[in-house]
Amino acid sequence: MITKTNSTNIIPDIEKHGRDLAKNSPQWATALRQEAASRFTKLGLPTVKDEEWKYTNLAPITTRTFHLPAPETAPILKEELFAYCDKSEINIVLVNGHFVPEFSNLKEIPEGITILSLDEAFKKTTNLAELLKKQKSLNDDAFVALNDALVRDGVYIEVGKKALIKDLIHIVHVTDTKDANAALFPRNLIVVNRQAEATVLESHLGLSGQSYLANPVSDIFLDEDAKLIYCKAQNEGAAAFHIGTTRIWQERNSQLTSFSMMVGAHLTRNNLNIRLNGEGAGSILHGLYITNSDQHVDNHTCVDHQTPNCTSNQLYKGILTEKSRAVFNGKIFVRQIAQKTNSYQLNKNLILGEDCRVDTKPQLEIYADDVKCTHGATIGQLNEDEIFYLQTRCIDRNKAIKMLSRGFVDDILETIPNQSINTKLHKLLAPTFLGEK
Amino acid sequence: MLEIKNLHASINEIPILKGINLTINPGEVHAIMGPNGSGKSTLSKVIAGHPDYTVTEGRIEYEVNFKKVDLLELEPAERAREGLFLAFQYPVEIPGVSTSMFLRAAFNEICKHQGAEEMDPIDFDEYLKKKMKLLDMDEKFIGRAVNVDFSGGEKKRNEILQLAILNPRLAVLDETDSGLDIDSMRIVADGVNKLRRKDNAFLVITHYQRLLNYIVPDFVHILYDGKIIKSEGKELAMKVEEKGYDWLTGAKS
Repeated sequence: MITKTNSTNIIPDIEKHGRDLAKNSPQWATALRQEAASRFTKLGLPTVKDEEWKYTNLAPITTRTFHLPAPETAPILKEELFAYCDKSEINIVLVNGHFVPEFSNLKEIPEGITILSLDEAFKKTTNLAELLKKQKSLNDDAFVALNDALVRDGVYIEVGKKALIKDLIHIVHVTDTKDANAALFPRNLIVVNRQAEATVLESHLGLSGQSYLANPVSDIFLDEDAKLIYCKAQNEGAAAFHIGTTRIWQERNSQLTSFSMMVGAHLTRNNLNIRLNGEGAGSILHGLYITNSDQHVDNHTCVDHQTPNCTSNQLYKGILTEKSRAVFNGKIFVRQIAQKTNSYQLNKNLILGEDCRVDTKPQLEIYADDVKCTHGATIGQLNEDEIFYLQTRCIDRNKAIKMLSRGFVDDILETIPNQSINTKLHKLLAPTFLGEK
Repeated sequence: MLEIKNLHASINEIPILKGINLTINPGEVHAIMGPNGSGKSTLSKVIAGHPDYTVTEGRIEYEVNFKKVDLLELEPAERAREGLFLAFQYPVEIPGVSTSMFLRAAFNEICKHQGAEEMDPIDFDEYLKKKMKLLDMDEKFIGRAVNVDFSGGEKKRNEILQLAILNPRLAVLDETDSGLDIDSMRIVADGVNKLRRKDNAFLVITHYQRLLNYIVPDFVHILYDGKIIKSEGKELAMKVEEKGYDWLTGAKS
């Protein structure tokens, strides 16, 4: 059940924004935005009375108003940006929601792959509405509708049939704004055609201390026998809100290896929805979150087994310090037809602060009778005996805690499926308490 | 080197140590024997600084750079950096932390403390492998998590390996012989004997005389009900082996 908030609209000028965006868009995109705007109004913003938002209070967002920021012409962030990105790799950089060609590197795009800014794709490619309509069946809520209604730019990637792309494709969403009420609605569309392979890292970097709202949506379609490594790394500014959704549709025998790393933002909601729509499809969903201060990170996964013989494998780990909070909600649907499903889910949390809180909830709905589904969740603290043992070996208490915490997440860090992604994720780890200094 | 004076300690307000006096000089090996529950392991944990135990009376003086310091004032890690080592009766398993990484971190803490240069991973692994040979340990342990999936004997060898790496001035071995077969015990004892020097000392806590055939002590102390009730030379261990503890404890009560 969706409960509407008291008529407050966090984007008061939604229609005006829609009209502005329409000037530059094909007709179908305008129609999509218009439909979404009324859908958003109808859905209303969720509250904690809504089961899906029980543990994440959106009041800090819903009691405010936001607007689309004016393009900032020359953000001075190059150094910080390229301390993280590798200039020589394929980079598609968006700053405050706008594609910035001079920061991007699209010079050496391998054959068989199309990479466009979404704005360009709207104009060049034929109707994307069909694809988007399909994706809507995976997850639709007020924030997805809001993104639909206000989508301006993003990235469009299409990997052609049988194209095997080994190079990392790095999508970088940077927010560097002085505007405390800025809201960003980037959209990524990734299509991996039959027997094609690709590796995509989607990074969200906040170089702003403002309490902006990032509301990105990524739609991914894997056709038969396609393979995709997809990683989402989120390091928004410390005061920011990140409400993101990734929806992945998988056809027969397609393989997804995903990794979600959430370290930034004041409040994060990260939805990952997967539909296994063809026999033999498989998904790996790994995730890591590290929180401090009064951060709140909510990971929602949903894997919908629609066909037989599919596998899904989930492992999310988190370390909470100070008075931070984390939520994990892992939904698994196994439809009646989806016999021989093999599904695994585990969420493990390490609490280091006395005032931390974790709400973890596995949610299995199984309608088939010949399936293997296991799930588990743990919330624990460090073992004092282990700390003492390290102390007797010259390692002081703080270092011992760090070493043991690192040990807690090392196994999941080792599963990062690509060296270049691994390097970048470790850069995001460095400023956390697990970092070197 | 170490002087324990009238040491009283308790856990959860239950007194365990009730007035221990013990002096250990450089070059000496002391053995502490005693029946179950006499306070042997408590003594080792109090020396190492386990937070569960409260010292209610007495003190422990430890010599650092020819100066006596109050050992109880030091954090456990500081004690270790000053050359104190405890080989655990039950070595702790640490999932996720590799033996090599752990030992290098410990070793480098000592380097740092002594103002020496830290060792990089490659050099350290070479150093580690040499020490492992000394204890007949398989190199495969280097990459494994500390004590995880180690057999009882392997864990005990790992303790002595750490002793060899950290090269302490005073090593407390808490029932290192328990759970060891005779071959492992010989290897462990050989390892310890090779590390004996004029300027270091050992406190060997054991239940049985067996280990003391290999690590020959200069002094044997019998601990009973939180106190040392008898101290003699190595022949005391033989008497205990023959007669048990009753003649001592009975004589006392």
